[in-house]
Amino acid sequence: MFEQIIFYSFGTMLLLSALMVISVRNPVYAALFLVLAFFSTSAIWLLLRAEFLAIVLVLVYVGAVMVLFLFVVMMLDINLARLRAGFMRYLPAGALVALVLAASMVLVVGGEGFNEIRESGLAERGPAYSNTAELGEALFTAYLYPLEIAGAILLVAIIAAIALTQRAKRETKAQNPDAQVAVRRQDRVRLVKMSSERDSE
Amino acid sequence: MLSNYLPILIFLIIGLLMGVVMLALGFILSPRRPDAEKQSPYECGFEAFEDARMQFDVRYYLVAILFIIFDLEIAFLFPWGVVLDQIGWAGFWAMMVFLGLLTVGFVYEWKKGALEWE
Amino acid sequence: MSIDNLSLLLPEIALLTLACATLMVDIFSNDPKHGPGYWLAQLTLLVTAVLVLVTYTGDSQYAMAGMFVSDAMSGLLKFAICIISLFALFYSREYLLRHDIIKGEYFVLGLFAVLGMLVMVSANNLLTVYLGLELLSLSLYAMVAIHRDSSSASEAAIKYFVLGAIASGMLLYGISILYGVTGSLELGAVAQVLEGQSDYPTLAIFGLVFVLIGVAFKLGAVPFHMWLPDVYQGAPTAVTLFIGSAPKLAAFAMAIRLLVDGLGPLLPDWQQMLMILAVLSMATGNLIAIAQTNIKRMLAYSTIAHIGFLLLGLVAGNAGGYAGAMFYVITYALMSMGGFAMIILLGRKGAEADQLDDFSGLAERSPWLAFLMLILMFSMAGIPPFLGFWAKWFVLREVIQAGFVWIALLAVAFAIVGAFYYLRVVKLMYFDEPREPDEPQCSTPLRTVLSVNGLSLLLLGLSPGLLMSLCMAAFSP
Repeated sequence: MFEQIIFYSFGTMLLLSALMVISVRNPVYAALFLVLAFFSTSAIWLLLRAEFLAIVLVLVYVGAVMVLFLFVVMMLDINLARLRAGFMRYLPAGALVALVLAASMVLVVGGEGFNEIRESGLAERGPAYSNTAELGEALFTAYLYPLEIAGAILLVAIIAAIALTQRAKRETKAQNPDAQVAVRRQDRVRLVKMSSERDSE
Repeated sequence: MLSNYLPILIFLIIGLLMGVVMLALGFILSPRRPDAEKQSPYECGFEAFEDARMQFDVRYYLVAILFIIFDLEIAFLFPWGVVLDQIGWAGFWAMMVFLGLLTVGFVYEWKKGALEWE
Repeated sequence: MSIDNLSLLLPEIALLTLACATLMVDIFSNDPKHGPGYWLAQLTLLVTAVLVLVTYTGDSQYAMAGMFVSDAMSGLLKFAICIISLFALFYSREYLLRHDIIKGEYFVLGLFAVLGMLVMVSANNLLTVYLGLELLSLSLYAMVAIHRDSSSASEAAIKYFVLGAIASGMLLYGISILYGVTGSLELGAVAQVLEGQSDYPTLAIFGLVFVLIGVAFKLGAVPFHMWLPDVYQGAPTAVTLFIGSAPKLAAFAMAIRLLVDGLGPLLPDWQQMLMILAVLSMATGNLIAIAQTNIKRMLAYSTIAHIGFLLLGLVAGNAGGYAGAMFYVITYALMSMGGFAMIILLGRKGAEADQLDDFSGLAERSPWLAFLMLILMFSMAGIPPFLGFWAKWFVLREVIQAGFVWIALLAVAFAIVGAFYYLRVVKLMYFDEPREPDEPQCSTPLRTVLSVNGLSLLLLGLSPGLLMSLCMAAFSP
């Protein structure tokens, strides 16, 4: 009962904040509402006993991905009025797609495949049970191959991000202390031997 | 055990209440007599020159995305560390390969100068 | 055991290791033409191709806890992907050097794209299909945007990325539904559960629809083709060439893995959907291509039409049809690569030869190049004795044998419509006045490789039995 109250309050929070993400005017606020949405999701995952995933969601999404989102929002010169111009026009089509997605989700979760879970509820484990260990064992035995592919994808992400944003040309001028210290007298001063000349007057 | 997380829930609720109550008190109790002059933005007494939202440099994005990638790597390291004694050498070397791939990426970004801010 | 049969993965392991080596070599070499990185990338593809041959056994073998499968189809497709990418990287370097936008990352991303394709081809699990696709797509998005100062390329990259992400989302959603319905991610197990149960199909069809939308997006079948013309036209020609060749083989493999290996029991359902996609693609592609004046865009619409034909092979729904589709997609990759390579060859720094007019009077300027282009166009139009004809013939034969005579007739009708715009290029080359009199400049290697590419269509077309029997063997039980 208590658990259900918590579930519904976080669920409501999730839906409301997700709604705000697409409806608020300021994209920075939208990003912050997305943070709230992730946070509520993580609480719901915690209720589903997916402790590790819940913590990773906060760690990675709230901690890192949302920072990226905010940077991107601030990097782009977004015209707020133009951004919202098409909202009403695309609403019917968008609503239809959302409806189809929701309907299919209801069908699947309401279907027979989930009977077992629905009837028995989540299995209660003892205090010795570690969600993280369970996940780690699956990840590093049965799912080892996908893990390595994920590693390759991350590497491609690094390469792509740098190749697309890094400018070889330096735009600012700065001192290079290393070069300054390493400089030798011969590089800077040249002694020229000259024969003495008469003063021309 | 879910009940272990109860303190966190209480902490959340109290934190939420604190924030809401303080803002609400300020909202209710403070005197507010707004007029057009008070609410208009100003810059040292001048009219505002430009929009307050300044465009960020693309390098912030680069740093953020590189951070995400290595953050994700850490996320994989936690479960690995917990079960290291059960997954055997295969699991150990799997992580080494995974880390090796990211090290290659790290060498690349270092050499490319993506870690330098100028 | 989780790392059983590791030796089956030898090509992938070698490719990954050498791709990392390529990245390191390129970053530590100071060659402005990125020679060391390029040659190591080519060596990597060659080594991978050889290892594919070495590890080829012909029967289905599983590895990595059932995540990976190596069978006759994967062997042939992987070999074709490596060889075609070898050509594609060669053409790419010529283009990048000519336009002075060469970057070492291009070759590394190309190698990772190839790795993604190999993973897709050998996937035996919904998860590996998806991850392979993402590895491929992510590399391709970055390759499209690699010329940062070109606004058209940036626009193409954004479009490709956004629509590609939506497609991936659809696919993933479909996969999650299938997992919800069947309780397994392994393709064989999914098929087994669907085979046994009769109550699931309504739900499973939801999953099927989303998976199919994802596949259709990636292949570029109508009505999910919107990205294709813009990306083909906007991207640097070298990247268009790359996207238009080997990734189509991987997309075909993905379709086979998902629809046949995983959702085989739902064949009657996806057969109908594919039929609609195929007919729409052939109609839209061929009709709109006629109106194009930009040859890259024209080839993009022609791609859509070819994809329609390829899907037709899947519609047949039997081993023969799949073999026909495979024959078609390999043929298509060879033809499309040659077509875009010709555009690269005729272009100069700062001026791409992407208008139809750029081809007028080519026969006067260079009879040999015009002849090669003639082979490519005739083959695409499906005129005997070129390879393209046999591809169409093979697919049509299987479709008719499967009992879909009316759809075969439609396909022939659209192919005849399509012949119009291919033959228009030939007419421009042989009967129109050249806009500039001088012979197009090109290096000897480029001319040689393009000649090999073009003549292969003629030679393989003269003896189509070899490739055909290889394709048949790939699907014989």
